Amino acid sequence: MTPRAAALVLGLVVAHLLLRVALGLGNGAPDFFLLAVLLGSRHMTPRSGAVLGFAVGLLEDAFSVSSFGATIFALTALGAAGAQSRYFFVGKSMSFLVSYLALGKWLRDLLSWLVSDPATRRAFGDYLLFESPLLALYTSVVGTVIALLVLKRSGRA
Amino acid sequence: MAGLSGSGNEGSRSQLLGAVGVVLLSLVTVYLPSAPQQAIAHVVRQSVLRPFTELHAFLAGMRARARDFEILRAQMDSAMGFVAAHATLAEENRQLREILLLGQRPSVRYLPTAIMRAGTSGTGSVFRVAAGTGQGVGPFNAVVTDLGLLGQVQQVQRDYALAIDWSHPEFRVSAMTSDGQNHGIIEPVRGRFREQDRLVLSGVDFLAELEPGTEVLTSGRGGAFPRGVRIGWVAGVAETLAGWSRSYYITPSVYPGAVTYAAITLPVAADSVDSATPEAPADAAAQGPP
Repeated sequence: MTPRAAALVLGLVVAHLLLRVALGLGNGAPDFFLLAVLLGSRHMTPRSGAVLGFAVGLLEDAFSVSSFGATIFALTALGAAGAQSRYFFVGKSMSFLVSYLALGKWLRDLLSWLVSDPATRRAFGDYLLFESPLLALYTSVVGTVIALLVLKRSGRA
Repeated sequence: MAGLSGSGNEGSRSQLLGAVGVVLLSLVTVYLPSAPQQAIAHVVRQSVLRPFTELHAFLAGMRARARDFEILRAQMDSAMGFVAAHATLAEENRQLREILLLGQRPSVRYLPTAIMRAGTSGTGSVFRVAAGTGQGVGPFNAVVTDLGLLGQVQQVQRDYALAIDWSHPEFRVSAMTSDGQNHGIIEPVRGRFREQDRLVLSGVDFLAELEPGTEVLTSGRGGAFPRGVRIGWVAGVAETLAGWSRSYYITPSVYPGAVTYAAITLPVAADSVDSATPEAPADAAAQGPP
């Protein structure tokens, strides 16, 4: 992992905590935790990517009352998959980056929904077919801009 | 395999096995018992997340201090008016209870506290209160505002607690109309896209028709919530089970997103010295209808 990528991951984690926890912006702020995992894992081995996802998921789930572990599982799986994806995709094109981030966001919501408490999770259609794709678009646009600005010299998003 | 240094297939296999192991470990956290989950989350909240929660509390305090003085003055005047108008009520109530040979009404103490919402995913109906076991807070204590019932404490630590508001799917409260004639259970019903979350009062007698606007209060049954705290008002009929019961939509008196300060109700044991002492005026302002 390059120092630039490490700094990006750390910056995204801190930004997420500042915007969502300290300022309480909720979904108004992009999901920087997810971007940290998806962008950071592309510079890591699968095991390190999974560990990164686990650590970030733990921070996200710390305030969860009824579905602790759902985000940990989702981000760990995505961290491992993101790291593995670099063996199949070079990932230099913008179209790949946008699709990768959007799909990653949707998969994150799907995975956490699957293991959440059925009594408390939201309706599948409302959440995963309508709201999640919109959030995925938002996340992918923000993530692409950040990746292009910060990682363009490293040659891999 | 590209990207892995050194030992080729064996190294990549080791990496994959390691990744699968971590993923399985993450899956274990989902199905851990509640106590270890709470312990892990508590450690994270009190270590890595603490600077951010402290910053949130600081910013909330700044915002509260910057609130318009005129609004605070108006709220205080209203509270004073309420206290003055009900000055003799407590004595009348005591005398009537003596005549009717009724015991003392269970006493409740109100603990003011700041509220913080984490803003992370999966915590939409969860908030943190800045009081814990050190201040006497316990699981299932009610959280109220001057407008009515906000939610209920769930997990308690020494200096803080996590609570759910009425929009959480697991929230339930026994309720009654303000005249005490009709009783039922109130639970939240989620609207599409969380835009129309509302409460439903179910189990009301079929023959009792509640008019829109009827005030609904906590009944105190079950002991988790003190009796008489406002929950909301009847908005209309939600469902009718022919000949058996009716359900009604309830317009909540408190909108959780707008609350930054609230009070936790702490039951006071009937035989304790505290129960005999009158409550402070500041506490009385947060109390529901007598």
